[in-house]
Amino acid sequence: MLLAPDDLKVILEAALEGGGDFAEVFLERRQTTVIGCEDNKIERVHSGLDQGAGIRVLKGEDTVYGYTNELTRDGLLELARKLGRAAGGKGNNKPEIEWQRPKPNWDFQVKKRPDEIPVEEKVALVQRANEAARAVDQRIVQVSVSYGDIIQEVTIANSEGILVEDERVRCRFVVNAVASDGKIIQTGYESIGGLIGFELFEENDPVELARKAAERAVRMLEARPAPAGRMTVVMAGEAGGTMIHEACGHGLEADLVQKKLSVYAGKKGQQVASPLITVIDDATLPGKYGSFRFDDEGQPGQRTVLIKDGILVDYMYDYLTARKEGRRSTGNGRRESYRDRPIPRMTNTFIAPGKDDPQAIIRETKKGLLVKRMGGGQVNTTNGDFVFDVAEGYLIENGEIGPLVRGATLTGNGPEVLKMVDRVGSDLGFSLGTCGKDGQGVPVGDAQPTIRIPEMVVGGILDEEENP
Amino acid sequence: MDYENLARKYLDLAQLVVEKATQKGALAEAFVSAGENLDIEVREQEVEVLTLAQESGLGLRILWDGRVGFAYTTDFSASALDETIEQALANARRATPDECNCLPGPQEYPYLDLFDPEIEARPLTSKIELAKEMEREARAFDPRVKITESCSYFDRRYVIALANSQGVAATYWGAYCGASIFVVATDGEESQTGFGMATSLRLAELDPAKIGREGALRAVRLLGAKRVNTQRAPVIFDPYVMASFLRVIAPALAADSVQKGKSLFRGKVGQRVASPVVHIIDDGRMPGGVASAPFDGEGVATGKTVLVEEGILRGFLHNTYTAAKEGVRSTGNGARGSFKSTPEVGTTNFYLAAGRCSPEELIKEVPRGLYVTDVLGMHTANPISGDFSVGVVGMWIEGGEFKAPVRGVAIAGNLINLLNSIEAVGNDLTFYGSTGAPTVRISNMSISGM
Repeated sequence: MLLAPDDLKVILEAALEGGGDFAEVFLERRQTTVIGCEDNKIERVHSGLDQGAGIRVLKGEDTVYGYTNELTRDGLLELARKLGRAAGGKGNNKPEIEWQRPKPNWDFQVKKRPDEIPVEEKVALVQRANEAARAVDQRIVQVSVSYGDIIQEVTIANSEGILVEDERVRCRFVVNAVASDGKIIQTGYESIGGLIGFELFEENDPVELARKAAERAVRMLEARPAPAGRMTVVMAGEAGGTMIHEACGHGLEADLVQKKLSVYAGKKGQQVASPLITVIDDATLPGKYGSFRFDDEGQPGQRTVLIKDGILVDYMYDYLTARKEGRRSTGNGRRESYRDRPIPRMTNTFIAPGKDDPQAIIRETKKGLLVKRMGGGQVNTTNGDFVFDVAEGYLIENGEIGPLVRGATLTGNGPEVLKMVDRVGSDLGFSLGTCGKDGQGVPVGDAQPTIRIPEMVVGGILDEEENP
Repeated sequence: MDYENLARKYLDLAQLVVEKATQKGALAEAFVSAGENLDIEVREQEVEVLTLAQESGLGLRILWDGRVGFAYTTDFSASALDETIEQALANARRATPDECNCLPGPQEYPYLDLFDPEIEARPLTSKIELAKEMEREARAFDPRVKITESCSYFDRRYVIALANSQGVAATYWGAYCGASIFVVATDGEESQTGFGMATSLRLAELDPAKIGREGALRAVRLLGAKRVNTQRAPVIFDPYVMASFLRVIAPALAADSVQKGKSLFRGKVGQRVASPVVHIIDDGRMPGGVASAPFDGEGVATGKTVLVEEGILRGFLHNTYTAAKEGVRSTGNGARGSFKSTPEVGTTNFYLAAGRCSPEELIKEVPRGLYVTDVLGMHTANPISGDFSVGVVGMWIEGGEFKAPVRGVAIAGNLINLLNSIEAVGNDLTFYGSTGAPTVRISNMSISGM
């Protein structure tokens, strides 16, 4: 524990002296290692310790937040008093704090702690991946490989008596390959990671990952520019889950819903997607990048069905948004670090697998675009308009996979697109990413089966000659 | 805060760490940053979130036998500092040696006025009032502006101390502030968003009324937006959109990208890379620039670097490493994201220089085209290949005038083609943080819609 429970009690009491109605202390000690290889050199071996405390005082719907690197009882007491005064209000609210220690809904064991693995072993892994990527083709001109691990110890205590200690261990491995034929440059990107120790690399060979990235970069050199305009889009399960993350995930976060900044506000119980679509957010999936035992408010991570058979069932809540509605948090209160206040965030969000054979979905599509790998995306939650990048896409011609295309973005509107989905495959493919919201980045997982959308706007290139 | 005293205290700390590391037979550099942050978020004329913070950290770079090791800490206790030194040394042993790794020696730094005492002196209530005024102005602009997505004021006050084993021992302190508003305009079932923002070294220069009205205008004029047909047409980027594109172009002008074969501009110094109206500049000591500083993240004096002049590529941005590799001088662009990272090549105040035409003239000359006011998915543009395809909103132009708002369309192309197709540059250079651009007109682009 980063501070004794009795000290935490004193700090929470001090925070409420000014009249606030809820106080919380979030203590964090984060150790990170990053190893980077580029230009055939181990350029980067970085490690660091970042520790600090964030204190939050709520009064009604207002939040006062503060943070400091100083993890001493006295330093935190002073900060707590300052925040309590800023929160305002009348009288001294002296809470009777009885510690309760919630149990997680699931548990996991890290098999190989990254801090017990010698740095040489991590470096060797990075070097092997670098060599494998470069061996793929002579046109690979640059490879950047990076390994990262994080050990995050947290202590979370609040004036309602929640006291949670937790340790999150995450590993991540990223390969970026650059190919050039002398005229154009293309890239290929692959990443793996999770709430998992070094055993990540027993199940996933970094060498395979590196080859995949390099092969894509080389393939993209042969790609033709993507077409422009509306067409049928098939998203392969292996493409990852960016679409669902953008098309509806963000819009189901309770803060945006309550502020009427979501196109899904006020739609609980209504049909918001095709009956083939069920969307779930699940923090309890073993080893996934967005998983955790407890969220950053000490609430156990859980599985929440958001959309069932096309009907909107629930939103994702943190403590504050749940309190506003007099209900329980769904364990989605997350923050990037002690520097940030918690807000509702996704964990691992996915469309549940359906019944169709993924191959048959492609076969039964006359003409369209097959998205084999998605890149990043963005959404305007207020009206549901979103875009995401196609990292690898192919034209579909008469049910056959045709030529590779590059430079495409898919543009659509969340509810419109989800209502249109007419096929859902039986497969499920995960991707991982760092999701940004209000300037905070948190690790998330996304997944979906192969799905078909009859019509989406593909943002490609029009030839100079074609002028409709 | 007593900045002068703090600066001295942190410089002492940095020098102590450097000395200890040097005793272990390494060259060393310690960078300390410390500061106070204030963030105010207002909604419906109430303070919704108030954040008060203090933070400090130290980053230590070690050079041992041509190898670089790095470690950082926020814990300044003697044992934690010793641990950081050991970590950095151990990390260096695992890195590949490279004779270009080096640390700069002492040099003369310019005096820059970076600290507006008003940012510290003005009381919290008055800063809250500034944010509230922004929201009132946005709401008053048009009754359809009904929702505040966010309305905030922030300021940062900081001290930097840097010491290395080659004799650099320097400090500076400064402050900056900013305000932004994101609002939603609604009409029936339809919602559109708009924003206004500004960042400045001077509190008095923040104009809440202007920011609020800009946010409202951007949202309201998009009401009724529709898709347009898929076509090629002239496209105008407003300063915010062009600045967003410049941020994607920036990495390709950094010498490390060039040296690693990841830049579109590799091997093109002295050649035409953009149309003759394009001038791209990085200026680390620009008066009033929020990224201005006397020295960069490794102690090299900042300067002004003309990267593209009349469309001709003149050079790249360098830190000491990339400069040593090419036998040139660092341009003072060893940028640190924070004490947690090593000085990588990065921009300071980075901008596309203003041209002569007013934005109105640029629009007036377009028979049919698209005026772009916001981009969705800019981070998906690929700075290495230069390919981009992004969602956009804006106004459709017909006969030199705004005809109707547009949404749900995408524009696509390659950054090189984009730079070469800029046919006119406006006189309205505007900075968004440390990146600035004026309005620009692109002769012809692919627009994907219906």
